[in-house]
Parts: sequence; C-alpha cells; structure tokens
Amino acid sequence: MSGKASSSSQPSIGLSGSGALSHIYIQYPPLRCSIPESRGLHYDDGTKLLIPSTSNQIFSWKTVPFNPLATSTSDSIPEGPILSIRFSLDTKLIAIQRSSSEIQFWIRETSEAFSHRCRSDSENILGFFWTDCPLCDFVVVKNSGLDLFAYDSVAKSLDLVEMRKLNVCWYVYTHESRLVLLASGMQCRTFTGFQLSSAGIVRLPKFDMAMAKPEANSKPVLAAEDVYIVTVYGRIYCLQVDRVAMLLHSYRFYRDAVVQQGSLPIYSRKIAVSVVDNVLLVHQIDAKVVILYDIFADSRAPISAPLPLQSRGFPRSYSSSSRSSGKDGECSEVNNKIDHEGIIYGDNWTFIVPDLICDVSNNFLWKIHLDLEAIAASSSETPSVLEFLQRRKLEAIKAKQLCLGIARTVILERRPVSMVSKAIDVLVSSYSLSLKTGSYFKGIKTESTSSGVAKTSVARSSTDVSTSRIDGTSIRHESTAGVDSEYPSRASTFSASESEENASSAPLRTDSRDLQLGGGKVDRVNLTGAHSSGPTDNPVFVNISEQQDSELTSPAISPDEMYKFVFAAVEEEMVGDPSYLVSIIVEFLCSTNMEKIKVHPNLYVLAIQLLARNERYAELESFVTNKILEPSKEVALQLLESGRQNIQTRKLGLEMLRQLSLHHDYVSLLVQDGRYNEALRYARKYQVTTVRPALFLQAACSSNNSQHLAAVLRFFSDFIPDFRTTSDFTTYYGILNEMNTSVAATSF
Amino acid sequence: MVMVVEKGKDSDAIWRIDALRKVLKEVHSLFVMFYGSIRAMLEKDPSGGLIRSHLYPFIMDYLSDFPVGKKLQLPSFRDCLKERGTVQMLTMGREAAIEVQSLVSVLDSCAGNSSCYSMILFHDLLVSTTLSPDDTINLFTYAVLRLSPNALSSGVNSWSYIRRGSTSSHFVSGSALTHSGPVSEQIYHSSDTSPVGNNINRVTRALQHGKWYKGKDGFLVTDIWGVDVGSLVCATPTVWLQQTEEAMYLCPYQFKSLTLILLIPVSSILNGEQGVALVKQQLLENASLKILKVEEKLSKGWGGENAYHVSGYRYLLVDGDRNISRASPPGKVTTLAKESLLALSKLRDEVDLEKSRAKRDNAGCEKDLEVSIRAKNNAWAIARITGGKELYMVLEKASETLLYASDAVEKFSNRYCNGAFSLD
Repeated sequence: MSGKASSSSQPSIGLSGSGALSHIYIQYPPLRCSIPESRGLHYDDGTKLLIPSTSNQIFSWKTVPFNPLATSTSDSIPEGPILSIRFSLDTKLIAIQRSSSEIQFWIRETSEAFSHRCRSDSENILGFFWTDCPLCDFVVVKNSGLDLFAYDSVAKSLDLVEMRKLNVCWYVYTHESRLVLLASGMQCRTFTGFQLSSAGIVRLPKFDMAMAKPEANSKPVLAAEDVYIVTVYGRIYCLQVDRVAMLLHSYRFYRDAVVQQGSLPIYSRKIAVSVVDNVLLVHQIDAKVVILYDIFADSRAPISAPLPLQSRGFPRSYSSSSRSSGKDGECSEVNNKIDHEGIIYGDNWTFIVPDLICDVSNNFLWKIHLDLEAIAASSSETPSVLEFLQRRKLEAIKAKQLCLGIARTVILERRPVSMVSKAIDVLVSSYSLSLKTGSYFKGIKTESTSSGVAKTSVARSSTDVSTSRIDGTSIRHESTAGVDSEYPSRASTFSASESEENASSAPLRTDSRDLQLGGGKVDRVNLTGAHSSGPTDNPVFVNISEQQDSELTSPAISPDEMYKFVFAAVEEEMVGDPSYLVSIIVEFLCSTNMEKIKVHPNLYVLAIQLLARNERYAELESFVTNKILEPSKEVALQLLESGRQNIQTRKLGLEMLRQLSLHHDYVSLLVQDGRYNEALRYARKYQVTTVRPALFLQAACSSNNSQHLAAVLRFFSDFIPDFRTTSDFTTYYGILNEMNTSVAATSF
Repeated sequence: MVMVVEKGKDSDAIWRIDALRKVLKEVHSLFVMFYGSIRAMLEKDPSGGLIRSHLYPFIMDYLSDFPVGKKLQLPSFRDCLKERGTVQMLTMGREAAIEVQSLVSVLDSCAGNSSCYSMILFHDLLVSTTLSPDDTINLFTYAVLRLSPNALSSGVNSWSYIRRGSTSSHFVSGSALTHSGPVSEQIYHSSDTSPVGNNINRVTRALQHGKWYKGKDGFLVTDIWGVDVGSLVCATPTVWLQQTEEAMYLCPYQFKSLTLILLIPVSSILNGEQGVALVKQQLLENASLKILKVEEKLSKGWGGENAYHVSGYRYLLVDGDRNISRASPPGKVTTLAKESLLALSKLRDEVDLEKSRAKRDNAGCEKDLEVSIRAKNNAWAIARITGGKELYMVLEKASETLLYASDAVEKFSNRYCNGAFSLD
C-alpha cells in the first residue's frame, strides 16, 4: 500500500507496524509515578491528575498531555488516611476524603485546611467531585442523596446550596460527561441521573437497567464496576455489563429521556471499556482481546475481529540502534522490570476512562493508542474504512495520510469506478462537513482566531440550551408519568435524527466547554505539547510531519489536496489508457458539485491533458461546452496548448479567453495566429492597449501585403496618440515604402 | 451517385442545391454505415446485382420519410432554417453534464477491456457521444429516424400504413412513394422465403419502418437483421464505423425519453448473441441507477419541444466545425411568410456559393461574412459567418432599418451564442 510508503519516513510507525496483529497498543515508556513509601494511587478525572500518596504527601502527575517524562508536583498535607483525592478544577484546593463521614480541604497557596463532616452519623459519604456548574462548586454523594455546595473563598468554607434526597447504593461519575448516575433499589439497577454542566443542572428521568435472571428466584445485584459512562462523538452513553446474558447493554442519554440502544455481546466475565478518539474499546479481559466499535451510525457491528492489545517499543523488541544513546541507562533499568511490564491485562490493571490504563502494582500509567494503519489495513471495505478514518481527530495527520494513500491505491489498482466513486464521495462529503463545522479551517488558521470563532458560536448554543434546561429544573417534581408521556413523541424524533447529531432533538451531550476541554482542545494541547518538548525528548510521539502541521485537527482532504496528493501523484505513476483516470475525475467532480465545493483548476488542466492524450477531442469539447471543466485562464491556456494538435480545441481555448474577458491574451493570440485584422477590431472595441503595436505590424508585414500593412499603420496612428513619433512607426513606414516601390517595380 | 430532381411548376419546388446535395450525402453515408462501402460490394459482385438489390429497398425506405400527404417532398425553400447532416444538441447544466459523463464512462467500459462507443439522446437531441464526428452524424440521423421515442411511436403508424398498402394492393396512385411500399416489401418477402440461416441472398432493409420495438428489458430490438438460429432471439444489428472501419453491434436502450446507443466491437464478442446478451445484462446491472438519475436530471431541465425558440427570431445556427446546428422549432418557422423564406433560401444559396469559392481559393483560412437583405415583404434575411460558425436569421418585424436588424442580431449573438457573432 502506498500509504505505508508515505509513512516510511517515520521510523516509529514503520517499526510498530511490523509487529503482531493488533489494532490498539500501549506505547513504551509508560508514565512512571513510583514514589518512595507509596500508600495509594488515585486518579482525579476532573483535573486529569494521577496522584500517588504517602501518609503526609501527595504527588500529582499531569496525564494530559500524556508525556511519560512529565515531572510531578508535590504537596505536603496533614497526615491521615486518604480514601480519595480530588483537586478543585482550578487546582487551588485539594479535597481529601479522610473517612466515610469526613472530607478535608487543603488550600495549596496558604497551606490551610478545613473540614467538612456529614450532619448525621447515619450518612455515609460515597464520594465527591468538583464541578464547573454555575450553581455549585462541590458535590458530595452520600447514601442519602446529593449535597451541592458552593465554596466561599473568603470564609474558606463550604456553603450548602441544595440537597437532593435519594437513597443511593453507589454512584458513577465522569467529569467528561458531567453526569452522575445514582444507583438505587434492591438490585441497584434503578438509576437517577443528574448532569451538572456549566449550563445548569439537568435531572434525568429515572430508569431501570436491564438484567437477565440466572434462575427464577435469584436476583443479581448490579455493581458499580459494571456500569460505565462513556462519551462518544459528544454523545453520552452508559454501558452496563449483564453477566448473566453476557451482553453489554448501551443506553443513550437525552435531556428528557434515556433510551436503550441495543447490546453488544461480550466474551469474558471481566470486561473493561475505554474510548480512544471516539472509538469504543471493549476489553475482553479474560480472553485478553479487545473489540473495537465505532458507534457513529446505527451499526453495532465491530470494526474488526477481536485482537490482542499490543505493547510497543519495549527495548527487547526495539532495535537499540534506533534509540538515542542517552536512553541506554534507562534501557537496562527497564530490562529488569520487563517481566511484569509485559503482562497484558494483568490483574493489577485499572482502566481509567477514557483512554488510560493504570498498572497499580508498578505505578505505571499507559495511554491506549489506536493503530489506524492496522485498522485500515484489516478491512477491504474501502468506503467504510475511509469513513472511519475521516472521523478520527486524535491522529488527524496520520488518518489523512492513510486516506490519501488509500485513495491513490484504489485508483492505481484500477478498482471498479463505482467503488472508487463511493470512496471519493466519503472524502468529499467529509470535507464539506468539516467546512460547515469549521473544523477544517481550525486546523489551518492560527489557533487563537479559530478558537475565538468557536467560542462565540458555542456560547450562543449553550445559552439556548441553558434556558430550556432551567425550564426543566423548575419543574422539579415532574412525575415519571409526565416524562413517559413525553417520551414516545421524543423517541420518533431522535431515532430519525440519531445518526447526525441534530440539535432539535436536544440530545444530552457534553456541554460545549467540556467538549473543548475533553475533546478538540486537548488534542491540540496534546500535539502542541509534543511539539514543544522537541524530538529528542520525545522520540516516540513526534515525527517530522506531525511537527510541521501539528495544529491539524481534521483529516478532511480539500480538493486542492486531492489534486496534489491523489490525482497528480497517481497520474505520474499510471500507465496505459488514461480514460480510467478521466472517469475517476468525473466522479470526483460529481461529488464536489453535489457538495458545492470548488475544484482546483489544475484538475481541469489534468483532465484536458488526459483527454488530449487519448485524442478524445470531441469529448473534450463537450466537457468544455457543458462547463464540466469550469472556465478559467489555466483551462484556456491548456486548451490552447493541447490545441496544437487539434485546431478545434485551440478554438475552444481562444473562445474561453474571450468569454473570460482576458482581452490582452486574446488579442495577442489572435495576432499570433495571423488574424491581426480581427485582433485590431477587438482591440478597438475593448480598448486593449497593452499589446505592442509592433506585433501587429510584424504580422501584417509578414503577410507581404502592403495594403494590410498600411491599414495597420493607419489604425495605430488613429488609435494611439503620438504613434507617429515612435520608432515602430518609422521602421514600418519605411518597410511600407519599400514594399510599394518593389510592387511598383515588379508591375513595370 | 446522382440525384435527378424534376423541376415542376409547383412553387414549392424551389430548391437549394446544397440542401439536395446533403440529402444525397446522407443516404450514402447511412448506406455505408450499414453495408460497408459500395466499392467493396461492387468488387464482390461486378455485375452490380448485389449492390442494386441492396440500394433499391434502402433508398426507397429512406425516401419514405419525405412524403407530405401522398407526395414526395424533398427539402425545399421552406426548409431553409434547417441543416441536414448536422446534429442537434441538448443544452444542459453542469450538474446534468457531469452525471451524463459519469454514465458514459460506465457505458464505454461495460464490455470489459474492449472499448465500446456510446451515444445518448434525450428526445431527439444529442446529449453525449464518444464516436467520431462523422459516425456521430450518421448514427444520430438513424436514431432520430428510427430509434428515438418519437420515431418509435410514429413508426407504428407508418408501419401500419405500409402494411395496409401491401395487403390492399388496389391502393395505387401516381406518386413514387406508394409504389415503394409494396415493391420493397416484395423484395423483402422474396428473400425471406429462403431459410433463415442462409443469409447470402437475404437483404436486410436497415431503414425499414416500424421494425423496432422496445423489449421488456428496455433494449430496443428488431427482426430486420433476422433471427439467431441458436437462441431464436432477434439478431443484433451491426454497423460499420467510418473512422475505424470496425464492425459494431448496435444496442439501443430506452428509458422514458432517454435513448442510449451502445456500440460493441463485433471482434470483441466471441459467442455472438450470447455475448451481446451478457454485455446488455452487465449494462443493466452497472448503469441502471445512473440512467435513472440522468433521465431525472435531464427531464427536470427539459424545456419542451420549443425550448430553443427565441421569440421574435427565426434562426438557424450552424457550427460547421462541430457539425452542430440549432434552429427555431419547425412549428415557429411555419409562421413565416413565404416571401421571407424564399429570400432566405436565396441568400443561403449565395452564401453556399461564396463558401465553396472561399474553400477553393485558400483552404484552411476561414472567411468572415455578413449579408443582410431585405425581402419583398420588408423582412430582413440575414446571414453571418464568423470563425466557422454560421447564423441565418429572418426578422419579419424588423421592418424599420438595417441598424435595427443588425442590433437584433447583436443581441441574439450576445445572449445565445456567447457573443460569437458580435466581434465588432
């Protein structure tokens, strides 16, 4: 595949691609967060910090951007048990759960502390998190419900804003979705959800999760580790493991409804879920394989067959020559540990949503990567592979290169036109979409302006949403029946508009700010982070091409790039009948015309060259007259060039120049053709004074007709003031006199 | 070939020589397309029997298209706003043109590696062709005469008319045409009595009326070329391409007003009718959707029979380089006064003369020409020739001045000819 050829300049990819079959991988080195006397390892998904702790000190590593060589910051805190830790979103405060009833707050600047306790002893703190919801800053989940607090930075205390009384067995929360799901009931399968977004609090209707019964009388109890909140393409889903049915049920959240979306089969008692670049990974831990799903359309089919997770870049499988000598010391150190590092899906692995794996026993943090190249190579359904690649954002450059490579390959292999046409459709409509959403230009323009544009548009949409959400919260005691009655009418709306995220159906999605934080913006930070750290520090992630346009966020391919990297490139390599390529260009024009996208004139020029090479001049003519090849100066000049062999084609080129009002070129060409009379008439009509009179005079002179020469001289004498004083006039006047005398001489 | 025309007293019998010449040329070209060169036939049978047996029914069938009522009406001055031997093109938008081109590439590649040719018509107008200009004219002429939806529906009528003529042989009149029916029918029948497989003496009457009909699969079939012995299906007609001198199977397909003509090289198909059927099937599989789409797009942009009518003008536009013409619809031309038509016909005669003179004098150099004459009824008859393009026009309302007439031409040129005739 030529896609591989293009990436051969990137040693890391080339090497990793040669390994065993896998679609996802973790890349050595991991982020090591081992500290002496470590007591526990925590992860705060609000600030994306990995936090190992000792009894009186905590260390924090940034995981975004993921950089294995990142250094930690440490904080000394009062000694005591640590059940969990979460930094405030501005990282000024640290909340530490000390017991089931006490949370201690540590103000980092002033090293002050204050505590928060449950009011009654019967209450148990199940967990807590910081939020950017405008109503509150801090949320405590207790077995008796939710407490929402605002932090008073002056008084250094928490003020209770609101309480939501509920029985809670356990809860799940992700900062990415801002969604907290509270489980209740005997089987813990009844859920109440709240979304605490920057737009306000939305209460979701209560819903039950499906659970198959193993026997008539036994009722399995749902556990917190069986429920995952995942965010895919800005939509929020909940995935629930049903161990009896061996199914992974999925639910999608809308503002006023929760809808079951179908189930995925599972092949392992123990599973884990990750999301990388909007691709859902279901780790079948017992089977040590992972299945990939792209839940974009309705399809629940996996992207490809289950394959193991691969670890890459370990020194033993890595040729040492390609590594810098500075890393040698580290290599030997690693070699000792390789045995336990090499265990994939070990018992000590904890999966952190969305895309991290924490090796608790070694204090390693791995980031999961998609191997786009392997995924692309594993499917022969070119259009769907391209669709998949066009949806990737994290490795947009690579996805783009792969797409270009695939496009070149299908053309070079002369696959059926219908198939290539579908593939082109995918690329063109993806580009068109990226134009509409602005993501294409986001990658091209400077970052500051693009984000400014994005913010204003986003802000508008979020205010829209917030008003409707406030409505929703004001009716706090809305009965379930009310929601139910509303539900069927909703259901029809979103089932139809599900594939495209239609705002009118008001699906509950991560709010705009979150999208920027957790989605696009992070990608950009990630890439620019790699950029600034330089190639020597970060040999694994950085390659030259990524550095050059590290701001690229969309793999969309513009028509110009299609011309440059596909058509022009292919044309050089292609042998034999060029009519196939002409057909492909027509299909491309078909797609671009459908999406109303302008095409690079060079593509038209190429089409003319191909048609002329085949001597299909009649068809070329119909291409031009029907404006399949849109008129432009480039096209006209190519027609004139190809018209050397075919006078009709040349005429078309001339005609096009005239119709484009390129007067100077038109007149010059007429003169060149010896049609100087016509040229003069035209020059007079359109006042073309830029063509030198000498050209006309020369042409008239070469006709050897003294009358013509006299006429041209006369014309310029009238047309251009002071022409009689120029050297042209004197020269040709002399020639004219000579001609007349010679004529007179011969006539004697 | 020589054509003898009797010049009667009838005022309608005022001909333009060049138009008559074109008729002769057309019948010859069509004959060559179906039977190969006349010289080759003469060489095969020097006595001339073979060529005569072919030419006679062919010309009779050809002439049967000219009658008005019971009379044979050769192109007269009334047809001076028409140009035989040219193609009429459909004007379409870019989007439709791209769709058409996409369909064409499917058509041309539907017989595997061997390259087919295709021609697409919408109603009686040419949409696209991959044939050489000369072959395009011939096939287009044939398609409009016998294959287009119009021809098919009118063909039924004329077929029944001839049939009636042959069965009720008492239908006799002095005109040449009514003879032609029964006579050619007799020739056909006499050869038809020989066994089907024996094609030596059989004369295929390529221009026979009413012999094409639409099959269930959308392909047009005819039994003019006999019936294949093996499969008992109608034999696929073959034509000779002038440019490549290649024999091609002729496979017309029709969907609503859209007619596709696929030409498959005979040499590329080894097992005869079976092979052709296979290609046809392939075409249906690969192109059906596109055909649907193209038909839809073209119908949407279709302006009807009078789409190219420009009110106030009666015109004929000929692009001699591309063999394309466009004219006011015939119905509109008939509204012109006889004097106007006569004037234009005369003007055209003169222009023809001038053109041939210019051609003789210096080949390659194009002559520009502009003539405006005033007819007896004060109408303007105008001819303009620029860069290989010709514009003929009758302006009956422009009875005022020459300036007015010339202005009208200018306007027309700018609006409908991309300014091709307004270079001054």
